[in-house]
Amino acid sequence: MLLVENLQKSFDGFIAVSDARLEVEKGEVVAVIGPNGAGKTTLFNLITGQLRADSGRILFKGENISGMPSYEICRKGISRSFQVVNIFSRLTVFENVRVSVISHNKRTFNLFSRAESIAVSETEEILQSLGFSEKANRISGSLSHGDQKVLEMAIALGNRPELLILDEPTAGMSPEETRDTLELMKLLSRERGITILFCEHDMELVFSISNRIMVMQHGRTIIQSKPDVVRNDTHVQEAYLGGADERI
Amino acid sequence: MDFASNITISALFQQTLVGLSRTTILFIVASGLSLILGVLRIPNVAHGSLYMIGAFIMYSVNLFFGGGQAGFWMAVLLSPLAVALISLVVERGLFQHLYEREHLMLLLFTFSITLVFGDLVKMIWGSDYRCVDLPSAFQGFFTILGFPFPRYNLLLIIIGPIVAFGLWFLTNKTRIGKIARAAAVDREMVGAIGINVSLIFAAVFVIGCFLAGLGGALVAPTQNIRQGMDHAIIIEAFLIVIMGGLGNIWGALLGALIFGLTDSIGILVWPQFAIVFPYVVVVIALLFCPKGLLKSTW
Amino acid sequence: MSDNRSAWKALVPWLAVFVLLLFVPRFLPRFHVYLLGLIFTTGLLAVSLNLVLGLGGMYQFHHAVFYGIGAYTVAIVITKTTLSPCIGFLLAPVVSALLSLAIGLICVRLSKLYFGMLQISLGSLVWAVVFRWYSFTGGDDGIHGIPVPDIISSTDGAYYFSLILTAICLIVMQRIVNSPFGRSFQAVRDNPVRSEAVGINVKRVQLTGMVISGAFAGIAGSLFVVIEGSVFPELMFWTLSLEIIIMCLLGGWFTFLGPMLGAAIIVLLRTVVGIYTEYWTLVLGIVLMLLILFLPQGVLGFFLEKFKRGGMKAVQERK
Repeated sequence: MLLVENLQKSFDGFIAVSDARLEVEKGEVVAVIGPNGAGKTTLFNLITGQLRADSGRILFKGENISGMPSYEICRKGISRSFQVVNIFSRLTVFENVRVSVISHNKRTFNLFSRAESIAVSETEEILQSLGFSEKANRISGSLSHGDQKVLEMAIALGNRPELLILDEPTAGMSPEETRDTLELMKLLSRERGITILFCEHDMELVFSISNRIMVMQHGRTIIQSKPDVVRNDTHVQEAYLGGADERI
Repeated sequence: MDFASNITISALFQQTLVGLSRTTILFIVASGLSLILGVLRIPNVAHGSLYMIGAFIMYSVNLFFGGGQAGFWMAVLLSPLAVALISLVVERGLFQHLYEREHLMLLLFTFSITLVFGDLVKMIWGSDYRCVDLPSAFQGFFTILGFPFPRYNLLLIIIGPIVAFGLWFLTNKTRIGKIARAAAVDREMVGAIGINVSLIFAAVFVIGCFLAGLGGALVAPTQNIRQGMDHAIIIEAFLIVIMGGLGNIWGALLGALIFGLTDSIGILVWPQFAIVFPYVVVVIALLFCPKGLLKSTW
Repeated sequence: MSDNRSAWKALVPWLAVFVLLLFVPRFLPRFHVYLLGLIFTTGLLAVSLNLVLGLGGMYQFHHAVFYGIGAYTVAIVITKTTLSPCIGFLLAPVVSALLSLAIGLICVRLSKLYFGMLQISLGSLVWAVVFRWYSFTGGDDGIHGIPVPDIISSTDGAYYFSLILTAICLIVMQRIVNSPFGRSFQAVRDNPVRSEAVGINVKRVQLTGMVISGAFAGIAGSLFVVIEGSVFPELMFWTLSLEIIIMCLLGGWFTFLGPMLGAAIIVLLRTVVGIYTEYWTLVLGIVLMLLILFLPQGVLGFFLEKFKRGGMKAVQERK
C-alpha cells in the first residue's frame, strides 16, 4: 500500500533522512524504531506532506504522493497524529473531531447549513469508540496530556483513513493509558481493517503489536522485517548499544 | 494623457536630484521608524505625528529667531530636540509599560496617540497652512552642468549621507549601538547579562523620534505645513521600512531611494499618476521578497 | 429537535429589537435616525472585518479598501453611467468580492504579519489610483451630491434601507459563521498545520473567507452612499482600516455582534463629543488609549467576564 524508496531530505546541509526505505502492506501494523534523531518524525513528515523530499519516491496505492500538499495527501486516505500534541486547543473536543469529519465529507466549503446538524453522529461515534463521550464539550486545551494524545488520534480518525500514521502515540502517557492505546490500536487494525504505521520508543508495545518493524539510524533504514528477525539482527543491536535510550 | 512628453536629459537630471532630496527626508523618517521597529518591536504609527510636530515647531522657532540663517539653523537644531523630549516623556510615561503587549495592540495604541497629537497640533497652531521661508542663502538655484537646481534640495542631498553615516556609526561603532542591535535579536539575553535594557530601549526610542523630528524640520521649507502630513508620511515610511526589511537601516535607505526616485521620475513619465509608481514598486518588491529586500531583524 | 426550538427562542429578542427599530423614525428626531443608519452601516463593516479578523485570525490590515470600492462602485454607476442605480447596488458587493479575490490571491500565500503588510501595500496602491483619477473617481475631491433613488434618499428612507439590508446581511453572515465552513475557518485560525493534515486546503479557505468578508464590506459601502450621498478617497485610507480594527477589538472580536457594538461606540463618541468640541479626535484618542491599556478584551469582553462565571466561552490565550 505504501512504498517509500530512496528518500532524501537535508536541512541546510544537515542530512536528516538519506536513503530511507519503507514498505507497508494493506492491513499491516508496521513500526518504525530508532534512537532519537534517527529521522523517524522527519520521515513521517515527508510521507504526510509537511515536508518536501529532496529526492526519492513515496508511492501510496501506486500513486506518487511525494511533493503533494498535505491536504491532498490526506484526501488520498492517509491520516496522521503528531508527536507533539497538535490539536485545536481553543475548540471543544467535539469540534476538534468534527472538523476532520467535515473535511472528510467534503463539506468544508458548505456555507449555509447549520454546523450543528452536520456530521454529528459520525463524530459521536468516534468519540464513543475512544471513550470520550463525556468529555465531548470540554475545551480541548484543558484536557490532560494523555487525553490530548488520544484526541490526536480521534482527529486523525475523523478522516476515515485507510492508512493511519501515529507519531509516538504513547509518549508521555501513564502505563494504564499506554495499555488502553495499545488495545485501541489492535481494535483499529483488526476490526476496522485500518493499516497502521507508527513510531515508538516503547519496545514492549512495538514488539507486541507489529507485523513488521523498520529500524532507522542516522536517517537511513537499517532493516525492515518481522520482529524476531529484527531482534536478532546484529546491525540493529549495534545501533542500540550505541544509543542510550532503549534496550531490546 | 501626458505620456512621456517631458523626458529630456535636463528634466531627467533635475528630477533625479529632486528625487534624491526627497529620499533624504524619507530616509531620515523611515530610518527612525525602522530603528524603533527593529529594536523595540513597536510599529509606531505616531512617528508621523512627531514628523508633523517637528515641522510645526521648526516653523515657530524659525519665526521666533526672526528667520534667516539664525532662524533656520536654530530651528533645525531645536525642533528635533524638542520632539525627542516629547518622545522621552511618552516613552517613560506610557511605552515602557507596554513592551510586552501584542504587536496589534501596540499598533492601535500608537494610532490613538496619533489622534491625540493631531488635535494637539490643531489646538496649538490652528488649522491653517504654515509656510517657512528659507534664508536667502538657500533660496534660488545653483547651476550644475548647465542645469538650474534648487539650492535647498542640494543641501538636503548633502545632509542625507551625513545622517546615514551618523546612524551607521551609531549602530555599528558605538557600544550603545551594539547593545541595541543585540537587544533587537534577543532582549532577554541582553537583560540577563546585566545591561539595563529599559534604558537602552528609551535611548533607541528617543533617537528614532529625534529622526522623525529632524525629517519634519528639514521638510518644512519645501512644502505647506499642514494637518494631514502625519497621515501621509507614515504610510510612505511604513512601506519603505517593509520593503527594505524591518529594522534594517540600509533597507530604509534603499527603500527611500526607490520611493523618492520612482515618484520624481514618474512625474516625467505620467504626471497624473506619478504617486502611484512608488506603490507599484513596493508591491512588486514584496511579491518577490515578502520579508523585505534586505535582511530584517524580525 | 430541541436544538431548533431553542434556536427559535434565541431569535425572539432579536425580532423584538428589529421591530422596535422599525418604529424608531416616528419617535426620534431626524439627526438620531441618520445616526442610527450610520451605526448600522459602520457596524456591518466592522462585523464583516471580524469574519476574517476574529473568526479567521487573519491580519486584515486594509479592510477599508473593500468598503471604499463598494461605495465608489455605486457612486460611479449612478453618476457616470446611464444604468439603473439598482445595478450599482448589485455590483458593489461583486466588485468588492473581485477585489478581495485579487488581493487575496496575492496575499494569502503569506502568513500573519507579512500578509497584513502586503495587503497594506496593495490597498494603498488602490487608494493612490483612486486619489489621482480625477476624471473617473473625482480624485481627492471624491463625488458629492450623488442622486440616490428617491425612495431611499430621505433620512427615513435611507434608515430603513440600511436597517433592512444590515439585518439581512447579519443573518447571512451569522449563518456562514455557524456553518461547516465557519468551523473549518476557525480551525484554520487555531492550527493551520493540523487543518492541512486533516485535509483542509488552508489557503483556499482563507481566500474564501476574504472574498465573503470583502463582499459584505462592499454592501456596507453602498449603504454609506445612501446615507451620506457622497464618496471620497478617505473611505479607503489606512486610518479607516485601523479604525475598523479598533471597533472589532473595542466591542470584542470573539463574539459575532461585538464589532457592531464597537462601531456604535466610535460613531457615537465621534458625534456626541463633536457637538461639544471640535477636538473630538483628541477625546477619541484618549478613550482608545485607556481602553487598550485597561480593557484588552474589549468592552463586551469586560462585561461578559463579569457576568459569566466559569468557562462558558473559551478562555482566550494570548499568542
